[in-house]
Amino acid sequence: MDKNILEVKNLKKYFPVRKMGKKQYVKAVDDLNFSIREGEIFGVLGESGCGKSTLGRVINRLDFEQSGDITFLNNVISGKSYKSDKNFRKKMQMIFQNPYDSFDPKMLIYKSIELPMKINDVNSDAGSRINEIVETMNKAKLTPAESLLTRYPHELSGGQLQRISIIRSMLLKPKFIIADECVSMLDVSVRAGVLNLLLTFQEELNSAMLFITHDISVATYICNRIMVLYAGKIMEIAESKDILDNPLHPYTRALVSYSPIISKEEKKRFRITGEVVTPIDPPPGCRFASRCPMAKDICKKEEPILKEIGKNRKAACHFV
Amino acid sequence: MPLLQMKNVDINYRMKKNEVKAVRDFTLDINERDIVGIIGESGSGKSTLAHGLMRILPRNGYMKASEIKLNNKDILNISDEEFRELRWIEMSIVFQKAMSALSPVHKIFDQMYDTILAHKPQVSRNEAEEKLSKLLEIVNLPKKTLNMYPHELSGGMMQRVMISLGLIFNPKLVILDEVTTALDVITQGQLLDEIKRLVNEFKLTVMMITHDVGVVNEVCTKIAILYAGELLEYGNVKDIIFEPFNPYTQALVESHPDLNPEGSTLKGIPGILPDLINPPESCIFYDRCKYRKDICKNGKPELQDYKGRKVKCFRVGELHG
Repeated sequence: MDKNILEVKNLKKYFPVRKMGKKQYVKAVDDLNFSIREGEIFGVLGESGCGKSTLGRVINRLDFEQSGDITFLNNVISGKSYKSDKNFRKKMQMIFQNPYDSFDPKMLIYKSIELPMKINDVNSDAGSRINEIVETMNKAKLTPAESLLTRYPHELSGGQLQRISIIRSMLLKPKFIIADECVSMLDVSVRAGVLNLLLTFQEELNSAMLFITHDISVATYICNRIMVLYAGKIMEIAESKDILDNPLHPYTRALVSYSPIISKEEKKRFRITGEVVTPIDPPPGCRFASRCPMAKDICKKEEPILKEIGKNRKAACHFV
Repeated sequence: MPLLQMKNVDINYRMKKNEVKAVRDFTLDINERDIVGIIGESGSGKSTLAHGLMRILPRNGYMKASEIKLNNKDILNISDEEFRELRWIEMSIVFQKAMSALSPVHKIFDQMYDTILAHKPQVSRNEAEEKLSKLLEIVNLPKKTLNMYPHELSGGMMQRVMISLGLIFNPKLVILDEVTTALDVITQGQLLDEIKRLVNEFKLTVMMITHDVGVVNEVCTKIAILYAGELLEYGNVKDIIFEPFNPYTQALVESHPDLNPEGSTLKGIPGILPDLINPPESCIFYDRCKYRKDICKNGKPELQDYKGRKVKCFRVGELHG
């Protein structure tokens, strides 16, 4: 668990926008620094617009950074496109939110699973590829596998299809998985099955995972460490238990206190007001300053740096 | 005294060849000032029920019941014209997607004034403006919102507009249909706080439809568990969430990461929803229930009063005696 599989340094992703003829930038991801260890499940938690999906897309080279370095398995991958690099795609796989969008609606399920195996030379012989798919389907309790595999995506439920999309990724034995809100459109009772399947495969392959979510309950269940993003900036990185039980950064405290977490004890809100700052050329200082109840003058002028606080714990706040 | 009495409500959707029986034999009394959370997963019929109560089902949907009373007044066997007179005045509904509920090309004031005119044509523009500014103030929106278009508002603000729209005539019963589902966590929390305050201020009775047990836990006093169109359990929120009696409720609660004992694997519910075109003759949860026995196959269990709540299960006495 000690070696880093992914290192991100000063990663920036700006989207240009034109406002009143002036060129401005949406700073979707702004100067992120973090690393993910081998075999670790690393959660990215944040509200809409915080840049969590952009981050996933940039790491997987579906989008390209403004500046910064990404090191994956000791290779620098930033600045390259990897459009046709099979070796890279095989090592890093992505699972998306809506499985109905990530399957070809006109392709039978088994074709959709087999094709990436064929392209990536997982198994050279068609017969043994099918055998492996059926075996994995059975292991995932997706039965009867033969009947499910010869259907079209619209004939399956969202939960079944999402589990198949996990299988499709896992059959390539990736070293790193990016799961982008992969359970947020599923019912609670189905969600558990999908999460457990993800965990089973992750343990078996000992791959690392970047788990993007907005749901703090799901994040703390599945992740080892959680990074909290707000308006493109890291607010806090800590072990999941610490995020839930003892959040340090004011934004994390607010996020935890406003989440509908079920517990027998009454919890108190850490009240904040206002709306998320616009990421188009945001004001100097801390991004959260305009809503933070603890904000002082310094917060509006000087941007807090992400500093080490205790073991495995970092926060970006002047008063932590 | 119950404010809303529903007895044996059935709601069906006509299809080309058959009918989907979306809600079946739903019987529930909602007392005044109760905040009832109606919990169900997709396909459980929770929104269908709300739409049926408001008589806004799609054209292929129809409702049958032996009795529906609001404030002791029959609202089942009255004409659409008569129903129009009490809709929004005595009961109103707030929808999930504020963005699609509001017209994008009209100012907020015009849309809200339109609602007032539809029910009380004698209200003048000035009166309406005065009333609406007060109302917006109550939901913590600035007065200038009235002169804005929906796209100028954030999701949370739009949902506040929708809620204030539902409160225009100070109705007794408000149905909230997944009002916070599309919102971010913090906005959702803030809106839930607001709803709690409004319920007290307006002395409302609320039917809150949602799929999120956490949301119900925050605002509701009662909870009704709906599965595949049937009511399986009804009672006080804390009782049911922390000690569920019906096996489905138990499985649902155990699927929630917060209620899962630390370190153990999350349990889901294996299997799929029963066919709603030909719903089974047995207990509706039979196929997926881990406590099932042969008695569960024979006929449907009754919704019985048990230890201060209502439960539908053949084996409840045996399992929770």
